[in-house]
Amino acid sequence: MITKGDMHMELLELDLVFEKLIKKQAKYESNLLGLNLLISRLQRQYSANQTPEELERCIGEMKAFFDKFNAILKSDIEALRSL
Amino acid sequence: MFVDLNQAIDLINQGKILHIAADESLLDKLPKGKWIAGTTPYFITEQGGITSKDKLFVNELSCAEDYKIMVYDKSDILDLPKDAFSNGMTILVIPFASEVAVYYAKEAPYSSNLLMNPTIGWISGYDLSTDSCAKVYDGSTGQSYSNKAVALHICLPKNQMASIGIVNIFSIDENDTIIEFPEDALSVKKCLVNGKEVLLADYIAENNIDTRLPLVANYNSVLVNVSIKSVSKENHTVDFYAPVFSGKEYRFARPVSDYVESFNNNLHKFKDVKPVFSCNCILNYLYGELDGMATPPFAGPVTFGEVAYQLLNQTLVYAEIINS
Repeated sequence: MITKGDMHMELLELDLVFEKLIKKQAKYESNLLGLNLLISRLQRQYSANQTPEELERCIGEMKAFFDKFNAILKSDIEALRSL
Repeated sequence: MFVDLNQAIDLINQGKILHIAADESLLDKLPKGKWIAGTTPYFITEQGGITSKDKLFVNELSCAEDYKIMVYDKSDILDLPKDAFSNGMTILVIPFASEVAVYYAKEAPYSSNLLMNPTIGWISGYDLSTDSCAKVYDGSTGQSYSNKAVALHICLPKNQMASIGIVNIFSIDENDTIIEFPEDALSVKKCLVNGKEVLLADYIAENNIDTRLPLVANYNSVLVNVSIKSVSKENHTVDFYAPVFSGKEYRFARPVSDYVESFNNNLHKFKDVKPVFSCNCILNYLYGELDGMATPPFAGPVTFGEVAYQLLNQTLVYAEIINS
């Protein structure tokens, strides 16, 4: 069973992947519409304001999304780990 | 399910949580209850596409543990996720051509909270052979609105989650001409075509582009359509059913020779989906001549715009409940 602590560790591990996605240095296509729309919006948001603060905000949004929808994002998390 | 007025009244009186689509003349006769609705006389039922003012399309949300019905206008529509249940889904219905519809179309894609709440819905419409107006209904009060949106927020059990999806029959050629816009707009004159500034209306005329084809943008592999409402040769303006956004690259969709075949080819991938709600666009219904044609596993109202978090055009949208 995955605990809250495990989930927190998982998301910490994904920080770098989220950063790559937001900066368009990596590409990932999910089967989940909401995740694809989120990646697209954050890429656009960061592209318009390429500051460390904006990047932090964008990563924060990604983490919040994965935290909330963790239960249906397991295959995405696995795939993202290998990016 | 596609039911007559008495069957719909029975479902309401049994206390079911319902989403309803029907002609205004039927919705006006429904008793108060746990339902929301929007107007349309067009449907794609399990038996096929039909125009009807005698029947109602009803989605029973038996998966819901709890519900809230809320009415929104331009000032608070983006607060919708704050009202939603922490684990749930929202069905949103907005009247066509209302201020709140235009505002939602332009602002929802920028909302930081919206993607945190699965939101599905549609733009209500009317019989195109009449000059009536689109409405939405809050069944808890019986009140109808032509200038406000209505939302049904449902709460799901802990072991379930809502998932929103779309079916877009259109595709693009990545090597095709890129069209960009200087600002977010529902009506445009100028655009950049492969980096060169032109009048879009003139470009469409000069290149003999079929305006039944939408402009398509790629949102991280999700193709999002923007349909053309009208082109004015006199004013050199092009009006859209949803906004185009600056910073996005658009291409005209590839022509579709056979809509029904295209739908069938696309729907094959979705045969295992068990939608609790779906709707399809009036432009697909009309251009694709879907009258009499079914689109299994999807059935629902035919709409003047579709909502899958944000406003979409010429797209089938659906929601399913997944065991998590």
